[in-house]
Amino acid sequence: MTGAQQLLEVRNLSVGYRQGGGWSRAVDDVSFSLRPGEVFGLVGESGCGKSTVALQLLGFRHVSMRLEHGDVRFKSQALTSMSRRELDELRGDRIAFVPQNPTTALNPGIRIGRQLTETMLAHGRVKNAEDAGAIVGILKLVGLPVDPGFQRRYPHQLSGGQQQRVCIAMALACDPDLLVLDEPTTGLDVTTQEQIISLLSELRVRIGVAMLYVTHDLALLSQIADRIGVMYAGRMVEIAPTDEIFLRPRHPYTQGLIASIPVIEDLSMSRARPLRGLLRRRELPPGCPFAPRCDHALEQCVAERQELETIDDARAVACWRWREIAPVPAEPAPPAGVGTLAARAAVLSVDHVSVIYGPKSRGFRAVSDASFEIKEGEVFALVGESGSGKSTLARAISGLTAPATGAIMLRGEKLADTVRHRSDQQRRLIQYIFQNPDASLNPRARIGEAIARPLVHFFKMEGAAARAKIADALGDVRLDGSYQERFPDQLSGGERQRVAIARALAAKPALLLCDEILSALDVSVQANILTLLRQLKSEHGIAMLFISHDLAVVRMLADHVCVLYGGEVMEIGPREQVFAPPFHPYTHSLLHAVPVPLQRPDKPSKAPKATEPRRGEAGCVYAGRCPWQVGSICETERPPWREGEGGLGLRCHLTLDQLNARAAWPPTTREGIAV
Amino acid sequence: MAIEQVSAPKQTSFRYRVLWRQTPQSFRIGLIVLLVHLIVAITGPFWAPYGFSQMGTGIPLSGMSWTHPFGIDQLGRDVFSRVVHGSHIVILLSLSGTAIGLLAGAVLGLLSGYLGGWFDNLLQRLLEALISIPFLVLALIAIASAGPELSGNPILVVLVVALVYAPRIARIARAAAMDIATRDFVTVARLRGESAWSVMRRELLPNATGVLLVEFALRAGYAPVLVGSLGFLGFGLRPPTPEWGLMISENRALIIITPITVLGPGLALASLVVGLNLFTEGLARILGRTVRLGNQ
Repeated sequence: MTGAQQLLEVRNLSVGYRQGGGWSRAVDDVSFSLRPGEVFGLVGESGCGKSTVALQLLGFRHVSMRLEHGDVRFKSQALTSMSRRELDELRGDRIAFVPQNPTTALNPGIRIGRQLTETMLAHGRVKNAEDAGAIVGILKLVGLPVDPGFQRRYPHQLSGGQQQRVCIAMALACDPDLLVLDEPTTGLDVTTQEQIISLLSELRVRIGVAMLYVTHDLALLSQIADRIGVMYAGRMVEIAPTDEIFLRPRHPYTQGLIASIPVIEDLSMSRARPLRGLLRRRELPPGCPFAPRCDHALEQCVAERQELETIDDARAVACWRWREIAPVPAEPAPPAGVGTLAARAAVLSVDHVSVIYGPKSRGFRAVSDASFEIKEGEVFALVGESGSGKSTLARAISGLTAPATGAIMLRGEKLADTVRHRSDQQRRLIQYIFQNPDASLNPRARIGEAIARPLVHFFKMEGAAARAKIADALGDVRLDGSYQERFPDQLSGGERQRVAIARALAAKPALLLCDEILSALDVSVQANILTLLRQLKSEHGIAMLFISHDLAVVRMLADHVCVLYGGEVMEIGPREQVFAPPFHPYTHSLLHAVPVPLQRPDKPSKAPKATEPRRGEAGCVYAGRCPWQVGSICETERPPWREGEGGLGLRCHLTLDQLNARAAWPPTTREGIAV
Repeated sequence: MAIEQVSAPKQTSFRYRVLWRQTPQSFRIGLIVLLVHLIVAITGPFWAPYGFSQMGTGIPLSGMSWTHPFGIDQLGRDVFSRVVHGSHIVILLSLSGTAIGLLAGAVLGLLSGYLGGWFDNLLQRLLEALISIPFLVLALIAIASAGPELSGNPILVVLVVALVYAPRIARIARAAAMDIATRDFVTVARLRGESAWSVMRRELLPNATGVLLVEFALRAGYAPVLVGSLGFLGFGLRPPTPEWGLMISENRALIIITPITVLGPGLALASLVVGLNLFTEGLARILGRTVRLGNQ
């Protein structure tokens, strides 16, 4: 590696954070380099130090952080020894940053047009904050509307995807050489994520900017990165070209990480075993940090430090056993479908339910006219983008939000609109599990007390009997009885979510409402909870309403799938039917937006024509965004409900045969992954 | 991850010394002043040179001397002994008054913030009306409406202190409850059909303790002044109780002849209030720190 060719070089970087009375090392001896125009992906679970590395590329300094050794060189200048003034000249101009959360990154009080020119003003690229030419130029670059009306909007008037485009536009304003992106699509919907990724791929072709892309999503990275660096516990454990990482992962951690990605296409494909255990930074061995979770660990691994060793052209791995180890195959996943679903009784039926926020006549229609049934013991998935009404439906079922019209029946009995008017029995049978495990447990109550509440309330159980039940409930979610005495802040996110599930199970419910319960968790933790949910389903026969935007997870778990858009049911049916043609156009676009390893987006997708669903208007809610739109009929007439084979139903003007002809699944261009 | 230890583990006494040095200075000074007051309040009645209503301890109005540091009032009573005897009365009245105010305010405020709706609306308007009346005027109205047969009753003084503080504490508790009520664990309890009382006790109160403790400390710091003011105006305890405000009032005519008979109880009151305020300010800072850390 000669320094002259490299745009950026990170050498033996170690960074410490102040913790308690000492310093803990967040990044330990990390080295890598970037060529001009290259996209380098940095991946790892939360807490592995990837964001710390990204911030170092911007010369970020803080009182509670110190650079222990190593340096970062940008065009042969050491960023680590620059003065504040020198850094300010470079940052925003030559090196730009795209943050994770565009909502908080944009100033809510400044109009978009003015905000866009801030970077250029700071670096003297324009003289005037309202320089129309400059604004239109960068708006065009990122595919945003250029009309003055748009420029006069405030950030809150934009969708999440548009906000992120504005952030990217601000970063690109001075035509930088390097773009540092920290999880830029994590908070966004799959379809929006797809658009941002294809925008970024397009930009690198057009303006040749190099990127450092930090994310926890390996599948996503495969669509954009040239090379990928895998980090674990502050160390770089493997660096390889993207294809190589997926086809021949060398480090056991990389293998486990790839195996933890839920696969949407083929369920029968042989796979490696997902990661087990957790990263516990306080209990790391002196040798390889991954040794406690590794299937191949020997005594030598625990004792001796593994250095990153170059094994091939542009490949390096920090595992001395890389030649001999092969992935441990996973146990075959049990079939998700139960088979005789039709014969089962419905535990819950939702009958023409609409939920309206505000006055009935002109309020916001969050859900309109949804009908479905959930049978005993089945997993019913609700799928859709944010704002599609998934959570609103769950809230209506639980009684938190009263529906405007329609009825919800539990085992044939009509439920009252609000939870206060339902009986204890009805409340017990429906249990809600929330997305964010940090907020769903009382921080001042021990785990045992949290699980005891439903026992006391519903079964009047106390003392030894309750304690036995609590231990049972913890056992159900594969946690040890000793957890009873702990407080939530002593648990990891995955463990907290298990406790929340245990608390729901303690009530002996008939239906669990799982509202995006995996989305706040790391991939490896997600894979473990997913396994747990499967086991619970077969052990307890509890029905679940599983809300998710992650189609791959839905495909692995659900028996029935319902696709929502703009509060309306677009498609409903058994899993095999929904994930096979004929597709509803919206289902098809969702499926195509899911990042699949090694499959780059075929062509830059068209900019969305309309981003908002057409709620409460004549015609189809999806009209305006639909890629297969028939014509004006879509905007004037409500599409008919079409019934297909095996209980499939969908709402579209196209007939099932026409839909069948439009799309095949899985797409022919995709190849299997040799893991 | 190895954390470099700044210092090797030492003996317990050393660790306490480190902890003590980390506390804010105001906390340390306040604590010392308070401890002196507490010791005097508890042990004073046993070592005070004279009884609180003992007459003929010396020549009336003879001023400061080594045997009578705060002088002698016109009835021949030793003012220093009276201050010492009155110490526990003042402390007990102010602390119990604040505690009752805290309890009532916390319960009302938490329930009001959690329930919302008409209950919240009605209660808030009522509390706003109470807060809008200057506290001394409010206290006088309450005492006057209690009737003459109850005047001078220590329980009435305690209740008046509680009445003055409860609305102010309730507003803080309500704000805390509204914040906590949006979190999912409260929604879970609601979905379980728990009563508002149970939600308040189990879910809201434990998470509002930090805020409420700070509030208690700040209010308690001012309570002796309120009790003293009532005494001074003649609406507090009855003579010959050695309550400090009452003593200042009784001796105020002598302020030109023997100013120390007024200054003595005044100094005692001032040092208690300053001590309490320093202590609570420091406590608020310590709690604020841990409360903030606990939220993350």
